[in-house]
Amino acid sequence: MPQIEIKSINAFYEKLHVLKNIELSVSKGEIVSLIGPSGSGKSSLLKMLVGLLIPKSGNIYLNGNLVNFNNQSDLRIIREQIAIVFQQYNLFQNMNVLKNVCIAPTKIQKRNPKEVNEQALNLLEKVGLKDKLKSYPDELSGGQQQRVAIARALCLNPQILLLDEITSALDPELVKEVLDSIRLLASEGMTMLIVSHEMNFVKEVSSRVVFMDEGSIIEINNPKNIFEKPKEKRTLDFVSKILKEK
Amino acid sequence: MGYTLVYTQVLEFLPYLVKGAWISLQIAILAFFGGMFFGLILATIRTFGNKILNKIVICYVTFFTNTPQLVQIYFLFFALPEFGILLSPYIAVLLGMTLNAAAYLCEIQRAGFLSIRQNELDAAKTLNFSLVQQVKYVILPHIMRVLFPPLSNHYIIMTLGTSMAAIFGVEELTGRAFNINSETFRSVEIFSITALIYIVITFIATFLLAVIGRYFFKAKIRIIQ
Repeated sequence: MPQIEIKSINAFYEKLHVLKNIELSVSKGEIVSLIGPSGSGKSSLLKMLVGLLIPKSGNIYLNGNLVNFNNQSDLRIIREQIAIVFQQYNLFQNMNVLKNVCIAPTKIQKRNPKEVNEQALNLLEKVGLKDKLKSYPDELSGGQQQRVAIARALCLNPQILLLDEITSALDPELVKEVLDSIRLLASEGMTMLIVSHEMNFVKEVSSRVVFMDEGSIIEINNPKNIFEKPKEKRTLDFVSKILKEK
Repeated sequence: MGYTLVYTQVLEFLPYLVKGAWISLQIAILAFFGGMFFGLILATIRTFGNKILNKIVICYVTFFTNTPQLVQIYFLFFALPEFGILLSPYIAVLLGMTLNAAAYLCEIQRAGFLSIRQNELDAAKTLNFSLVQQVKYVILPHIMRVLFPPLSNHYIIMTLGTSMAAIFGVEELTGRAFNINSETFRSVEIFSITALIYIVITFIATFLLAVIGRYFFKAKIRIIQ
């Protein structure tokens, strides 16, 4: 049974049709990367999975259970199991690093503060920020903030992690430190959906790669094939263009 | 110049003046919080309300921020009785200052609403914050931090603005200074002491507000200027 099953999903921003008849299933432990030009619906797909964009038609199953996006308790359940890291980090500016990581587990999940604190310290050590616990987001570099955001997502003990262009806002020299954190997670078997423009990284970590364009999925293939011999012409155009730029 | 400063006679009136200062403070505080409350409603309409209500609030704010406060209170005090509404000087001043403050505080609070960062709210939602938790942990701390300095400034301006009440015969600090002046004619002494009392009031307020703003809301305020 797939962990996430997306069946003929359509979604809109106002009148803009951003997701067109999306079909995708992801198994436990898989790392699925979404690539494609800007505005192709990659980020919208991730936003929909955490209930920030409500689909107009189609079904989503999480561990075999149908998710009703208009039901608060269903939303609560998917958000407990799926964590997202945003392109702009979206940290709480009024809280320090440790508080950013601990607030949801302690105040929302009502877990034992001591235990959460310990987990947060471990996670922050893992992403190399153990000496920044008391810093505020505006005192950190973009790469550091993004790693705090990753720690914040992981501290929720999610089953699935969504990464939405997490390196796009970073300077090239900061990209590596963030990707290293993700590599570590990948090796631990976390299910991940990754939207990324870092093609080498996508090639390296993904189990499968999804190419999207204009709101539709054009091709799903393994990473080797999608970059070397894609089935669709649009994929080829995109891949050859982006690899030429590198 | 033949004028000799004599403070002894005026100093006898100090307790009388200090009691007046207390009335000034009351007016300022009541009008400020009344204005905050009314202004919050106006700011909410401006941010989330429909077109017609929005236009009405814009007219209100434009009127009150583009006419002198004195004229506004004059209107309440002298024009409303024509329509059968009679206000005591104290109430007229309090009401006038509240309505005036609401217009300014609406704009300040609206700026606070506009400064809420959507991406923090998105994060809060995906972390399963309820609406109340979003307000408590994300919106309010942020708004208070942004708004505290301009709100403090407006409070100080309002404290000094209460002296307008003297014109309508309210016996607050300036009103009482007028009274003593017409009794003793020691204008320089009286108004220098009155000014000093105002300075003390605003200094204390500035200091307390800075401490509260800085340590409770993490606003960027210097304690000692």
